[in-house]
Amino acid sequence: MAHIKVVRRSMRPEEWTDLRFGWLKRHIYSSKWEIENLEIRDARQTAEMQFEYYSETYRPLKKGDMYFTPDGTAFIRAEVNIPKELQNKELWFSLKTAAEICVKVNGKYIGGVDPNRERMLLSPYINSGETLHFEMMGYNRSKPDDERNPESLSVRGCRQIFEGAYITTVNHAVQSLVWDFELLLDIAKSELFNEDYRSFLNRELNNAMNFIDFEGEELSGVEEARDYLEKVVFANDNYKGSGDVALIAHSHLDIAYYWRRIHSVQKNLRTVLIQLRLMDKYPDFKYTHTQPYVYETLEKYYPEVFLELKEKVALGQFEPVGAMYVEPDCNVPSAESLIRQCLYGQKTYERMFGKTVNNAWLPDVFGNSWILPQILKKSGVDYFVSNKMSTWNDTNRFPHNNFIWKGIDGSEVYACVPPTHFITWNMPSQIQENWEAYIDKDSGGQTLNMFGYGDGGSGCTEEMIELMHRFEKLSVMPKCEHVSGSEFLEKNLKDNKNLETWDGELYLEMHRGTFTTKSDLKKINRRLEYKFRTAEILSLLRKEGNTEKITALYKRFLVNQFHDILPGSHIHPVFVDAMEDYAEIEKELDQIIGNGKKYFNTLNFRRSLLTFIPWEKGTATRYGEKGFWQIPDLEALSGAEILPSKEDEDWISVSEFVETPFYKIAFEKDGSISSLYDKELEREWVGGSFNKLKLYSDTPGNYDAWDILPNYKEKEIEPEVSSELSLVETDGESATFEVVLKTEKSTWKRLIRLFRRSRGIEVENLVDWQEKHRLAKVLFDCNLLTRKLLCDTSAGFVERETHRNTTWQQARFEVCHHKWCDMSETGGGIAIINDGKYGVGAENSSMSLSLLRSTIRPDVVSDMGKHDFCYMIMPHKDDAVSAKINNLAFEYNVAPVKADVQWLLPTFEPLYLQAAKRSENKKMTVIRLSEQNGSRGKIALGFKAKILNMLEEVQGETDVIEYKPFEIITLGIED
Amino acid sequence: MEKLKNYVDCVLQPKLQGDGGWIEFQSFENGEMTAVFRGECSKCLILHRCCAWIEEEIKKDLGLEIKLIAIRKKPYFQDT
Repeated sequence: MAHIKVVRRSMRPEEWTDLRFGWLKRHIYSSKWEIENLEIRDARQTAEMQFEYYSETYRPLKKGDMYFTPDGTAFIRAEVNIPKELQNKELWFSLKTAAEICVKVNGKYIGGVDPNRERMLLSPYINSGETLHFEMMGYNRSKPDDERNPESLSVRGCRQIFEGAYITTVNHAVQSLVWDFELLLDIAKSELFNEDYRSFLNRELNNAMNFIDFEGEELSGVEEARDYLEKVVFANDNYKGSGDVALIAHSHLDIAYYWRRIHSVQKNLRTVLIQLRLMDKYPDFKYTHTQPYVYETLEKYYPEVFLELKEKVALGQFEPVGAMYVEPDCNVPSAESLIRQCLYGQKTYERMFGKTVNNAWLPDVFGNSWILPQILKKSGVDYFVSNKMSTWNDTNRFPHNNFIWKGIDGSEVYACVPPTHFITWNMPSQIQENWEAYIDKDSGGQTLNMFGYGDGGSGCTEEMIELMHRFEKLSVMPKCEHVSGSEFLEKNLKDNKNLETWDGELYLEMHRGTFTTKSDLKKINRRLEYKFRTAEILSLLRKEGNTEKITALYKRFLVNQFHDILPGSHIHPVFVDAMEDYAEIEKELDQIIGNGKKYFNTLNFRRSLLTFIPWEKGTATRYGEKGFWQIPDLEALSGAEILPSKEDEDWISVSEFVETPFYKIAFEKDGSISSLYDKELEREWVGGSFNKLKLYSDTPGNYDAWDILPNYKEKEIEPEVSSELSLVETDGESATFEVVLKTEKSTWKRLIRLFRRSRGIEVENLVDWQEKHRLAKVLFDCNLLTRKLLCDTSAGFVERETHRNTTWQQARFEVCHHKWCDMSETGGGIAIINDGKYGVGAENSSMSLSLLRSTIRPDVVSDMGKHDFCYMIMPHKDDAVSAKINNLAFEYNVAPVKADVQWLLPTFEPLYLQAAKRSENKKMTVIRLSEQNGSRGKIALGFKAKILNMLEEVQGETDVIEYKPFEIITLGIED
Repeated sequence: MEKLKNYVDCVLQPKLQGDGGWIEFQSFENGEMTAVFRGECSKCLILHRCCAWIEEEIKKDLGLEIKLIAIRKKPYFQDT
């Protein structure tokens, strides 16, 4: 006999309560008076605070009209005389909208509305009888700032119907009862709470609702219902909850994402404004806000609101958090970039508020490099907060929430990876979920729960605070405490001896595609990082006094390292903006770097790598430029001429094999190498496909730009050889072979360079990339027995296991590296050195450098177009450290520069000169050195130097540098 | 037709892109302009409103009365 499931079709009591709850909400406003003389002017924002207007004048805006246009800004205004019947009452301004609107009345910003809130208090800002001049500025985004709010999602779209604007009065009794129901219904519907309590709630909420008469002319029974809830529901403490949760108000603001950076100025204004007004109403409300950059835009464009913000900071209600200038990607930027994020961020806070902060607040970043703890610690940061590893890992549950994070050099910071999302709306079920997911219940103290809408700002609402005020009346809830970020961190982490330690990178098991997506951004970011280094060194040596100029350029550069810009997870106009910024920054840096007669080596070690020197009469070509290959005769930090060698001996033979002084090579038609026999080391390096271009179907789903999935190798597309490998250029130092590969839509020219005096084999890739859903990698199956991959982090190397023994190794099938990666066994190995690639996969003795992707969300044409990039295959004797791979990678990325300058300080070898600059206060020369080979030692300076932290504050004095593995040291040398 | 295509590429496209959308001119025949919508536009519940606005804009700026036929190209992970 078939089983027939009994389905109840009649209305359940809970549905009857829900239905009446909807009716109740319609009575929140006791009166509504429509503003009927609104006018609107459409525009589009073209730059920060600059608009292209679509009409000369305003037009009337009536209820039912269409308003807003794609990427549009609308200016709305009205002259309003409050009707007599409303005068001397508590008045609100109400506007239900899908847009994000800031409202000014009689010259004062009174608040903001958006899909998460629809009203603001008007009375405190007006005088009785006066005419009110309303000015509104609104932005409508097709993608709401918070996709987790279903109400926001339901109203997405560029063209909206205007639902009217009103002066209203609020029935506070109804409003309060609505909040009571909101709170209790959430518990009643959540399986996270006790089943018996939920039954009790369902019964008693129905009983409370029964007091209300919805059918009379006037709504009645509201007070009785509130009284019933108070005496029956809130008074019931038979059901005991457990837990201890810190509630921190926060709004995540993506500086650019589905909107351009120029829009974040107003997104931030609206967010701040809303929080300030909540602080006016609720003196106990505290809010944390990150990113000194957005404070700067507020100060610059909305100084009156910034002054209010400063007052609330002084009162302890508004809390600046996050030492970094923006919330940057923490994988791709170099150590020096991350240091500058802290330096300029902290200096900005210090100037604005007279103090720095002791935390880094990076809830949304896509994993965190192992070099961070040291950088944070030396930038005055003791605490680190970042959410993603707990909530987004796709394979392993990150084992801690409150813990100590130990960095690559052994530095330690207190860390919090909260157990749940950084965007919540303070519902009991969300708080309960946080407590249940919290791992360190016995050792970590309270768990951190952030509340407030975010992504595009917005933040907290009246409702979230009202709900919070009711939590203590509910015995079933965890104990909740509303605190600031620093209060939470100091209370629970500081000196907590029970905390466990995580010694390693905070790898995010998701978003692995962001090491590769938008290849151009990564490549230029790398190039500019080194141009900043060069510009600062040369400015210092020339005594140019351009600190402010370089700082301003650096800040603009750092904004583009934001975690949805540099990783490539943004709409097309964001990419265009970043490229324009990069072009302007590079032009300015090139002017600072200038020119000279001789070449100067900005590296603090003698050059040994065969290097391409541009020269119009040269016989070699690289990146479309003529020049010659030479080993520059340049000592550390010194200058000399570089002349082409006069060698023209016949150093290469081409037949079945290609023979150079170093190798006997068998090429395949597609430019891959089937045999690379090392004549010097008498060994074969190839263990399978080597230098083999691989194209994979890359369809990771909704997180298209972000993710590469573990199954990416399942479907491979074989490019056809359109033009077979042939020798196209040769001179006394180099020989270039060319092969052209083709798919249906794309062409991929590979220029393979062999050298007379270098073990390196360089591959330049000229690609016309017109693919969709493809991942291009170059594969190296090495004839090595190894179980580890060494990866440069920009400030030391990290060893990663290449076996697949456990889920922890399995999850790390694609990782981030910087200038080089290396696989070695005793006696020798192979390094791959790049000039702007970051993604690499490794399995057993194979490594694959990720070259290009072609994603369609958020940018439909991401990475499509022309690309030109190089990598160098560097087989070597011994291990990577002994073979000085890091030095070679520096040389590969930092060319000698034409400049007639002289370095008078020591060279600080064997440490790396990471930066040399004037101090921000212009009183010292700042030298930043980093140990990158994992060694320990001493350098006698011969003079006294100040020991600085990374904020350029004096910590001590020394004439001997004692360095430890992977340590970054900052010295100050006084004038 | 070239004028219309240029208008779509140079005037409308940047605006739609600014909201994560995408429009591509495909054809113009018998007063009907066909355009492909990608990105956020492809899944927009109220795209018809935008299409009406585009028709108005073309009339205002080019003096052309057209009917816009919208073809939605949803991303592969949302195609049904």
